[in-house]
Order: sequence, then C-alpha cells, then structure tokens
Amino acid sequence: MPYQQALTVVAPLRDGERAALDADLAAAAAGRNGTAVPFAELTGVHFARLFVLDAATAADGTRTPEQLVWMSDVDAPLERHREQLAERAGPALDPLFRHCQGYPEQPDDAGRRAYLDSHTVHEATFYVNTIGRGLDQVLLEQRLRDALERYLDEHRDQLAGLDSAEVRERLRRFVADQPQLQVALEPPQPPGIWFRARETLHMVLAPLLLVLLLPLILIGLPIFALLLRLHERRDVPDERPPDDRHAEQLAALEDHSIQNPFIAAGSVKPGRFRLLTATVVLWIAGYFTRHVFNRADLAGVKTIHFARWVFLDGHRRVVFASNYDGSVESYMDDFIDKVWWGLNAVFSNGVGYPRTRWLIFGGARDERVFKHVLRRRQQPVQVWYSAYPDLTARNLRNNQQLRAGLAGGMNDRQASDWLARL
Amino acid sequence: MTVAERLELDDMQGLILRGYRDLPAACFVLLAVKDAAAARGWLAGLVPQLTSAGTRPAGSAINLAVTMPGLRALGLPSEVAHTFPLELREGMVTEHRGRVLGDVGESAPEHWLFGGPATPQPHLLLLLYAKDEAGLARLLDAHANAPGVTELHRLPSTDIGEREHFGFRDGISQPRLAGIGGTGVGDDQAVSAGELVLGYRDEYGLYAARPLVPARLDPDAVLADDVEGSGERDLGRNGSYLVLRQLEQDVPGFWQFVDAAAGEDRTALAAKMVGRWPSGAPLVLSPDADDPGMDRARLNAFRYHDQDPQGLRCPVAAHVRRTNPRESLDPDPGSDASLAVGKHHRLLRRGRSYGPRLPIEQALHDGHDGRSRGLYFVCLNTNLARQFEFVQQTWVNSPKFAGLYDEPDPIVAPGGSFSMPAVPVRRRVTGVPRFVTVRGGGYFLLPGVRALRWLASAGVAEMPNTSSPVGS
Repeated sequence: MPYQQALTVVAPLRDGERAALDADLAAAAAGRNGTAVPFAELTGVHFARLFVLDAATAADGTRTPEQLVWMSDVDAPLERHREQLAERAGPALDPLFRHCQGYPEQPDDAGRRAYLDSHTVHEATFYVNTIGRGLDQVLLEQRLRDALERYLDEHRDQLAGLDSAEVRERLRRFVADQPQLQVALEPPQPPGIWFRARETLHMVLAPLLLVLLLPLILIGLPIFALLLRLHERRDVPDERPPDDRHAEQLAALEDHSIQNPFIAAGSVKPGRFRLLTATVVLWIAGYFTRHVFNRADLAGVKTIHFARWVFLDGHRRVVFASNYDGSVESYMDDFIDKVWWGLNAVFSNGVGYPRTRWLIFGGARDERVFKHVLRRRQQPVQVWYSAYPDLTARNLRNNQQLRAGLAGGMNDRQASDWLARL
Repeated sequence: MTVAERLELDDMQGLILRGYRDLPAACFVLLAVKDAAAARGWLAGLVPQLTSAGTRPAGSAINLAVTMPGLRALGLPSEVAHTFPLELREGMVTEHRGRVLGDVGESAPEHWLFGGPATPQPHLLLLLYAKDEAGLARLLDAHANAPGVTELHRLPSTDIGEREHFGFRDGISQPRLAGIGGTGVGDDQAVSAGELVLGYRDEYGLYAARPLVPARLDPDAVLADDVEGSGERDLGRNGSYLVLRQLEQDVPGFWQFVDAAAGEDRTALAAKMVGRWPSGAPLVLSPDADDPGMDRARLNAFRYHDQDPQGLRCPVAAHVRRTNPRESLDPDPGSDASLAVGKHHRLLRRGRSYGPRLPIEQALHDGHDGRSRGLYFVCLNTNLARQFEFVQQTWVNSPKFAGLYDEPDPIVAPGGSFSMPAVPVRRRVTGVPRFVTVRGGGYFLLPGVRALRWLASAGVAEMPNTSSPVGS
C-alpha cells in the first residue's frame, strides 16, 4: 500500500498576466470541485489546489513576482503522479501555466514534465493525518461503512435481541458475502518495506544525532535563549484587521462543503537568527508529524487531513497549506486553544505575528491579533479538489477502525464498543 | 480561564442580567430613523427611562438595541463605524453568512419579514416588557411612535409559559456571569464577564473587539476610557452584541414526524431529539422516562462525557448536547481543558415565544391551524464569530458534529438523519425534515447606558459626514 506524499510546483507569472490568469482559474474552478482539471483521473490524489501567490517584498527588500502554485496530497509514487500530471492533466493545465515564465509555447508531455520538475519545491514539513492510508483504502472503508449502516437499518428488528458479539458476527458474514467488500476483512497492506525501514531509521537516528550533539546544544542553548528574548522584545506585532475586501474574497470561497483549504504566506523576519530558528523548528515538527502525530490526532486537533510548510523565494517566505474540516473560525480556535505552542514556535518567526515569550508562550493566545494576522496572511484558493469532500478526518478514522474491527476475535464488551462506531 | 470582575451594573442594560421572566408581556419593535436630529432628541429623553441592570424593574422594562445602519443613520462618524467588528458592519445577511447560519432555501433572507433585502433596513430595536397586556399597550403607545423614527415591524410575543411551542421547557442552561449572584469561577456554567459584556476580560483574559471613539469626539467625557489604555473612549463598554432571529416552528410537522417514526413512543423520540424531556429533565439523568418532579437545581447538574460518553442516554446529535456540549469535545473529552474550550462558545439567550400555543393532540390530529408560531430568538455575546456564528455553524448545522456523519441538529437545522446509540445496535431515523424556518433577523449592538447617551448627544450631530453611507 502507498504512503502519501506532497507535490508543490511554483511558477512565477510573466508581467501583466495576473488578470488573465485569474479569469482562467475562475473558469477552471467552475463547479468549485475543479471540474476543468481532471483531478479524479490522476491516481491517488486526495486533495489538490491551484492558486496565485501574491507578489511580495521580503523583509530584506527582495521582490518576488506573483506565482502560480500547484499543490497535491497524493499516494506514492510521486513519479507516477508527475507523469500523469503532464499527460492526463496537461491539456487542462496548459491554459493556466502559459501565463508563467518559461512555460513551453508548444507544450508536449516531455516539455510539461520538464517544467513541472524544474519548478518543484520540496516541502520543509509535511503533516499527514494518518500515514499509510491511501485513497483506495479511504474509499473502500467508506463503502464498507455505508453498506453496514444500510444492513443495520434493514435488519434492526432481527438484530435487536442479540448480544453484541453475535451482531458483529452477522456483520462479518454479510461483508464476507459481498464481493466488493470482502477485501475489508483483511487488514490493509502497510506501506512497503523500504518506506518502513527508512522511517524507522529516521525515528532512531534523529534523536541519536541529538544525543551526539548534546554537548554543543547545551552550550548553544543559553546563547539561543538570550538571542531569542532579544529578538522577541524587538518584535512588532501587526494588529491591523484584514481589509474588508480581502475578507470578503476569502469568505466567498469558504464553507461550500464541510472541508476547506487553507493557505497562508508570510515573510520570515529579517536576519539569520529567525530563519535558523524556523528551519530547526520545522525540522523538529517534521520529526513529530512523521513519528508521533501520525494517527489522526495532532495534539487534540482531529480535523486536519494534510498540511505542509514550504520555504519559498530563497527562504524569505514560508507558505503554510492545509486541508481541514469545518469553518475557518473553528480551525483558528483549534490553533489557539489546542496547539498554540506549536503554532507559535513556527509562525512567530514570521513578520507581524503577535508577540511570543520563549518561542512558545503568548503569541496565538492573543486571539484577536492572531486571527487578524492569519486572515491577513491567508490567500484565496481559486481551484480546489477533494476526493472525498463529504468525509471528515474523524469519519475516516472511524471508518478505518470499523474495518479493523472486522478482523480477529472480540468479547461481548469489545464488540459492543465496536458497534458503537455505527 | 474564568475570572470574576466587578461589573458596572448601572451602565448595563437590564437584559444582560435578566430575562424579565416576571414581566410576561413583551413586544419587540423595529424602528427606522427618519430624521437624525429628532431621533437623537427622542433618544436623549428615552435613555433615563431605560431599564439598567442595576435596579430590578418594577412593572415594566425598556431596553434598546441598534444596528450598524441605525448607528450611521443617527450620525455615527465613519471613523467610529470602522472600529466595529466585521460581523456587525456586514450584518446578518451576506452570501457567505447564509451558508454559515443555514439561512438558505425557505430560510433565505429574501423571504424574510424583516432584516432581509426585501424589506426596509431596521435601525433600532425597542424591547418592551410589562406585567400584562394593558401595561404593554401603554409602553407601545408611549414609545413606538416617537419623533424622528418610524415603526417598521412589530414582533409581539405570546406568554405560553416555560415550555416552547414544541412542548419542551426552554432556557434551562444559561452561562452565568462569574461574580454575579454568588456564581463562583469554578462553576461549569460560569463565564468571565467579557464573554457576554464588552469591556471586561473574557475567557482568554482579553477584551473582545468593540467600537472605540477618539477622545476629541467625546469632549464632555460621556464615555468611559478604553480599559486597554489606547487613550480612546469605549463605545462598547457595558454593551453586548445582540442577535435577533425569528424562528418559525412547524409544530404539526414536528409531532406528526415523531408520531410516524415512533408511534406511541413519540414523546420519547422527541425527547431524544431534544436531549431533555418536556419537563426539562435531562436524558443524562433520567434516560427512560420524564421526571417532572426533578429538583430545579438538578436540571443542569450533569456532564456528558462523564455520565454518558457514547450517547446511550442523550444522543450525541441531540439539540441540547450540541448547543452546549459541556466537557464532551476535544482536546480531551471529560477534562477541564475541554470544559474551558467550551466556555469560548456560550450564548446568553433572551428569546420570547410568539403565536398561540397549539396543543400536541391537536397538532397530531388536525394539523396546521394556519397560524404562525415560533420563537423570537435573542442572544447576547461579545464575539459573534466565535460565539453565535460558531455555535450555529460548527455545532448546530454541521452534520459532522463530534464525529457524526450526516446528523445536523434534529430540531432547528434543515434536516438530515438522526441516530440514537443503543446496545447492541443504534436506532436511526432518516429523512428528518426542517421544523424551524428563519423568518427574519439581524445583528445589533445593545449599548451601555453611557454609550446611548453619547449617541444621543449633540456632539455626534456636529461631526462631519453624518449621513455618508459608509461601507454600503
């Protein structure tokens, strides 16, 4: 079974092409679920999006033009995804990427492929709700859940008097009789041996490296703390609310289904210290998303399907992108109430963020300023695709555990808890 | 974290502290400002007659709320208007807010009786309360036809007792202001004053967004200084944001639906959908039958995760469980942390029913009597996005609440399915129709007394651009 990967393609626009590109993106977005781009024909795409990143002047004065960005959360191998992007989606992508610098005039598969490859940016950190749960598994488990619910509706009277273990047995037999569902009786294939070996190695080696470097870290830490406090005292939070037009633009694209895409871009504070801090924090965050928060629960937040941080413009800017359940208000509240420490450690290295203390305290807990900053940094996602727009991450988790509970033996109590998933 | 502060009750309108239950006759009147100067003169005379939270009203009560267009019509300078939070400036009716609040289809604002695009914009909301209809008539005579304003729409309530039209006791669980009436900060229902009243610390220890006035526009220092020390004057202090919604209830539709789905057990099914029995007894404490004799103090003395984690007693999708989930949600159901998160989303409800009561038997057998009935829903909060809109979108309307799949609020949301966890197998009712239709609404500021005095003062009138339609 596959594991999931992120693809980010960033292409600078040619001068004066913004308006035309916006119009073409709007056309591509007709119907909201990206009908013009054949997302569903690309194997294993969970989520995908196309949007224009506004031009920016970094803290050091460097100007970056507007950029067209493609992002997808997709089952491995990325190689296949890139190939299909060039071949199957090419004709739909050409009218968009033709507004970008250096895109081939007469694009063929090879030309597109070369362009995508040369404009791919590797993410700094990737969060996956549940590592190793491929698209096929998601869809199978939802079909399973639907079938079981229907079975219960149709057979409730026959089942009502039975004990839980017996009901579970009937459901297992029902599944065994369904040719399209039988496969759910077996646990899903884990990701391949090479992937698992690599992850295990990373999980062990990274802390080992830290232990080896411990003397250096111990010496460096007080210096870091001192510098950090000096920088934090100089920080200037940007308390302005987003302007009304920007807020309206964002709202117009939000809440069309129970999922929403989020994208925010911000400049890294000037100087090497903040860039170094952001880099190290994102590296640590990456360790935790790979090895700790990889089972549907990001420290109490269970609504994020995928998220990534990407350095852009020669590490002058960071883009944060995610696909989440519910409203942006509840999303921001989750940030403030549940994972403020993590948000602060990363985002406080960005210009204008509410003032932090010791990197993780304060910051996001300043609700009003934090929401203003996030909303101001947020960018509209013009084209967005979800392979399962009606399912929350919690639904996916429940489906997965439903399927897992078909295998093996259970006593009555365990069967009762399992049946509570339906 | 909940903190108790000293509140300036004399500067708060009484509705913040009291629902005026002992004044059962009530009418809400929507007014439009026709002549700003005359209206301000009328307002200046009205302010001393308004019922503050500092004194218990004897015989009658008058409160006043104002919309953003109303503030502009009274002459609020645009530089002050810009300091209001976005929700208030945009109002309840925007395309996006329609999706957030569920105001689509039959509930869409174009069909509204007030507050929508088809009717004139309300400016002021006069809330009148009296002991009886005669007293209310006197109040209406005295205040509804005032100089400078015209009456747009009247919302007369009906005293149908403690039970709302579907037949369930309402208004049991309310957030309580910490420090008032012996409410301790450790109380599950206690919230910091700033969650409900502007100008005080909220559960984050912060001050909610509120309108501020440059000191030069308040030369007589009518307003209090901004407690955050900006040097500006606080137009929001001791006020609150008021939400008004006319929610029409389809009583025959409701009872006929539960009757068709459950027959003799219709009341039990209805109770499962509400989360309480008709008497108000919570299902968590009394799962199998109503308990009309339950002590009043017990009606709200329960927790969900602690006593009923799977919803075997009170279904997860039930109305009261999702409008106030207590300690049952993430980050850690059952914990103080979850209770604390829940306190960021509380609403103080001050609604009144309207229309004649339709007895359940009659609703079951005769069906519609052609009369409109329902609730004038009124609630107070200080952060519309985090409180009213969040509750409406994330808890009430979302079919995905707390891990569910297709179960919006079975009472007030526009339809879906509803499941009742049971052993061994849940019961599920599908095709729950819409029982509640939105017929009007708006966002208001319920100002403090000093704020109203400032609005009525001549100072406002002398400001430039008094009639510029900013933001429209």
